Amino acid sequence: MGETWLQREFLNPRRLLFNVIFYGVQLFLFGYGWHSQETNKKLSALNALTWHDPRPHVAQYYQAYSMAFWSVVHTTAHYVNFFNVERTQVRPEIALDIHYTQAGGITGHFMLLIMLLMYTTAHHKIRNQCFEAFWYTHHLAFFFMIGLYSHATGCFVRDTAGPAYTKTFPFYDPDHCLGYNSWRATIWPGVIYFGERIWREIRARRATRLSKVLIHPSGAMELRIVKPSFKYVPGQWLFIQVPDISGWQWHPFTITSAPEDPYVSVHIRQVGDWTHALGERVGAGPSVVASMTQAAMKGSEKKDDVYGTRGDFVELDATSSTRLLPAVRIDGPYGAPAEDVFDVEVAVLVGAGIGVTPFASILKHIWYRQKKGNLGSLKRVEFFWVCRDAPSFGWFQTLLQEVEAAQADPNFLRINIYLTQKINEDMLWNIAVNDAGAEYDPLTLLRTRTMFGRPDWKMIYSRMRQAIEAGQYIPGSNAQLKTKVGTYFCGPGVLAKAIKEACVVSTCSNIDFSFAKEHF
Amino acid sequence: MGKLIWHEYSRYVSLSATVYTVWASFFALYFRKFFWDFVNGIVRNPGGVQPANSDSIFVTLIVKAPVIPIFSMVLGFGFIALEYPAPFLKGTAIHRSFPLRIVVLLLQAFLAVLFYQGTNGALWSIVAAMCYVRAQVLGEKMEEAKNNRGRGGRA
Repeated sequence: MGETWLQREFLNPRRLLFNVIFYGVQLFLFGYGWHSQETNKKLSALNALTWHDPRPHVAQYYQAYSMAFWSVVHTTAHYVNFFNVERTQVRPEIALDIHYTQAGGITGHFMLLIMLLMYTTAHHKIRNQCFEAFWYTHHLAFFFMIGLYSHATGCFVRDTAGPAYTKTFPFYDPDHCLGYNSWRATIWPGVIYFGERIWREIRARRATRLSKVLIHPSGAMELRIVKPSFKYVPGQWLFIQVPDISGWQWHPFTITSAPEDPYVSVHIRQVGDWTHALGERVGAGPSVVASMTQAAMKGSEKKDDVYGTRGDFVELDATSSTRLLPAVRIDGPYGAPAEDVFDVEVAVLVGAGIGVTPFASILKHIWYRQKKGNLGSLKRVEFFWVCRDAPSFGWFQTLLQEVEAAQADPNFLRINIYLTQKINEDMLWNIAVNDAGAEYDPLTLLRTRTMFGRPDWKMIYSRMRQAIEAGQYIPGSNAQLKTKVGTYFCGPGVLAKAIKEACVVSTCSNIDFSFAKEHF
Repeated sequence: MGKLIWHEYSRYVSLSATVYTVWASFFALYFRKFFWDFVNGIVRNPGGVQPANSDSIFVTLIVKAPVIPIFSMVLGFGFIALEYPAPFLKGTAIHRSFPLRIVVLLLQAFLAVLFYQGTNGALWSIVAAMCYVRAQVLGEKMEEAKNNRGRGGRA
């Protein structure tokens, strides 16, 4: 709000700096190209062709839109200068020869077509609809890069009428072929990227075993995977592949186990076609789990029905089922580590909606460190969970229950759950009847009470600040030392902004509120 | 496998193709050249390809007076208004019509392929038209924009 598109896209300090440096370098190269065209006799023929574009093709590391823009400039310029080559006949060829019979022209048109396909399928709407259309089409980048590296092989920039080819490497005569040799620069990132893809494949092929599949009453499957070579820190995510379902597709999931656990776990809800297929493959048939998920969405699974109360999960027994558990491959970990929670005195963990998943791992990790008495400077943890339909994340509540029950110091971890959905009459009476005087909250089965509506972040932070200043909040701290309060957030952008503002407003001389939006 | 909604995809392709064609038509006003002039044409030094006499109608409409590029540009702007869509076209019957789009895209491809700058625009328009044909064959319907589903305000 109050921030225009221009400010957001161009006047943001980091981006502005980047633009100034990036285009500064570009302009320098342009100037250099211009200068050499003016002074170098070998290039004099080019002066007859107006509008030649001497920019090297290095724009592809900037955003895609910048690349598209400069492609337009570059292509338009070539359309003009090929037109002029034909008109002036500085070379005995016509414009269409250069366009469609020489390497430069062919690769250029080919790259444009690839860009059309890649850009259109990469639109977020298409990616959501059909991820495969995006994923497979984006691998055309390989051919794009080949086109890019060979774009100058026709040696268009030269001082002779005919192409100055030779029989030996590099197959052109460097005295006459005056290309900018930009491929010498652009090939290295390509080599690095290709190497990384190979390395990823090698890493993914290391021994991996799916040891257990647990079905949580709310419908989430927990896959416990054993892979000794897989090292990670809390808050990261991985790609998982199940060759039985698709040998090509990698799907991202947040890691929900702590590094101390002897396995790597992910929680998967059966909501898409791939996850449905996975459920069917491991024997958690969609009928069973889908009904559990549906029930959980309605919040009705707390009845003592056949599936038991929440907190009990069903372990699929690999020996009794007719098929063995499928082979899995995992790749990762990726994403920002959240290790620095142990460098602050107070960690405020805020998860909104599905953004709560990385905190499963973080909370477990904190719990393990707490048991070992190795908490660093961390004194207190405030955990906020802002959620529209809390019951559909039953597995997470189970985890919270465990963590809450294990707390020896009642002040160390405080759980705040905000339910933002509209409450219907049935639910209202459920709360009214079950909440009063009960030991556990009726919705979440936690000791912590659920709050309704959206949290008022400014109020929360100013209260926290007052409590810290009054010395009540952190036991044994004194006001002389600067207190660091770190906020770790995962969720939608609007909420991030509201919390960040609250952090900035509340920061004062002896309390430092920092904010980190995690890109899990 | 996710389900690709073809007409939503081809909208992006056709918008790209049409913007390219408009841009190409603009340059065709300044650098006028009949694309197919090499057929039976002769190359003169200097001067480039001189089209055959049998092509004089195209030379008149593209080189002497850029009628075809101007028409292609006007058509392109009109099609962008339909495809984006412009507010007054949103929800109308012609906005929901796939056959109209296929016809316009093929016409655009035909016009664009006549002048020097238009080949890629023509090729891309054909790609977009094929995607719309696919949408039509699959029986897709263009739905009205979903109402009452705002983007969500501040937190």
